[in-house]
Amino acid sequence: MGAIGIDWQVLLAQLINFGILFGLLFFLLYKPMRRTFDERSNRIKESMEQAEQIKEQMAKTEEQVKEQLGAARRDGQDILAQAAQMGERLKEEARGEARQEAEVIVARARTEIERERDEAIDEVKRQFVDLAITAAEKVVNETLDRKKHRRLIEEVLEQAPGGKG
Amino acid sequence: MARISRRRRIGIIALISFGLIAVGAIFFPISMPHFELAAEVLWSPFGIPITNTMIGAWLTILVMGGIAYAATRKMRLVPHGLQNVMEASVEMLMNFVESIAGKENGRKFFPVVATIFIFVIANAWLALLPGFMSIGFWHTEGEEQVLIPLFRGANTDINVPLALALVSFIFVEYWGFRSHGFIRYMSKFVNVRQYFGGVGQMLRGRVRSGMGMLFSGIIDIFVGFIEMVSEMVRIMSFTFRLFGNMTAGEILIFSMMFLIPWVAAIPFYGLELFIGFVQALIFCGLTLVFLVMAVTPHEEH
Repeated sequence: MGAIGIDWQVLLAQLINFGILFGLLFFLLYKPMRRTFDERSNRIKESMEQAEQIKEQMAKTEEQVKEQLGAARRDGQDILAQAAQMGERLKEEARGEARQEAEVIVARARTEIERERDEAIDEVKRQFVDLAITAAEKVVNETLDRKKHRRLIEEVLEQAPGGKG
Repeated sequence: MARISRRRRIGIIALISFGLIAVGAIFFPISMPHFELAAEVLWSPFGIPITNTMIGAWLTILVMGGIAYAATRKMRLVPHGLQNVMEASVEMLMNFVESIAGKENGRKFFPVVATIFIFVIANAWLALLPGFMSIGFWHTEGEEQVLIPLFRGANTDINVPLALALVSFIFVEYWGFRSHGFIRYMSKFVNVRQYFGGVGQMLRGRVRSGMGMLFSGIIDIFVGFIEMVSEMVRIMSFTFRLFGNMTAGEILIFSMMFLIPWVAAIPFYGLELFIGFVQALIFCGLTLVFLVMAVTPHEEH
């Protein structure tokens, strides 16, 4: 054993050396490295979970946006339809009003025309009466006073066709 | 310098090498190496021998402790530089341990197994540095002068492999006892259940079955004895495998340097780098395998 060099004191010393190295490496290498590995894997797991969450949220938001867009489109269509309806109604109203007004104007024009015709007829009648009177005066000299004459003629005219009445 | 073709470059390198070999061989011969199997004692203060391999082991502790300290002083989540290198190495070791022992056991076994690996490989590689085996004290022995080196690879001192083997043995047995309980683990080595059962049968008068149990009981005891011996033999095989490999490497390099002082030993340095790695891997791998064997439940007889 001596030739090969086994010596219990050296053996003990080398055991202690191993122990020292073990302690050093344990506290300086294994422990911090293990902690870092664990921390890193935790961090990665967390960030992956976070990414998943964000993805989910984005999908949800997209859904919401889509929904809102659909709602807006529907609203727009409603408004358009309403506007068209209202336009139709307004047009209808305006047309009715115009027709009414036209009717009023036409009626007024008709009464005016009627009145003017009556007046013209009256005028013609009066002038005719005057003419007849003058003619009769010339025919019947002073036999009848003017007032009697007039009454007679008017009676005749009254009976005549196309006269007033 | 003009472009040199690859072939010509190799030729030039070969020429220079041969020149160096010749110069070294002619002008710088190395004296016949004196080789001592046992580690040389340099001093012995208070009766405690300080050997050159102890200094080697201390250097290993200093270097590895320094590297570990520098690598983990400012741990960052995004590794960089030395931290990155050490993290990759530690992770490789960790994966190795966990691939053999499983995740849970791997975590328990890792510190000791990794320290064995690091101690062995650092001892082996540091011993290849210039200065090891070449710086020392001249000592007159009889009529010739011999150099007692100040630094010597710790693996070449049989006490170091022996210490590691003992650590491995103690650790293995500790985990064996711990995971099976004292009685159950001991029953692997001292298995007398069948034997005493046979004796009981005989006393009760059932001779035939008693004889059978007695016989298999004796076989069990013998198997237990072999188990115990094999456990002890592991210490020796651990010790001499590492010691033999590392010492042979040292002698090999020494002899090459004696034969051809310059250049020629370089390939053997490469070989020794590889052997240092392999030996470290074998030592920690076998420890790991024995640990797993000790921890896994063995079938009941």
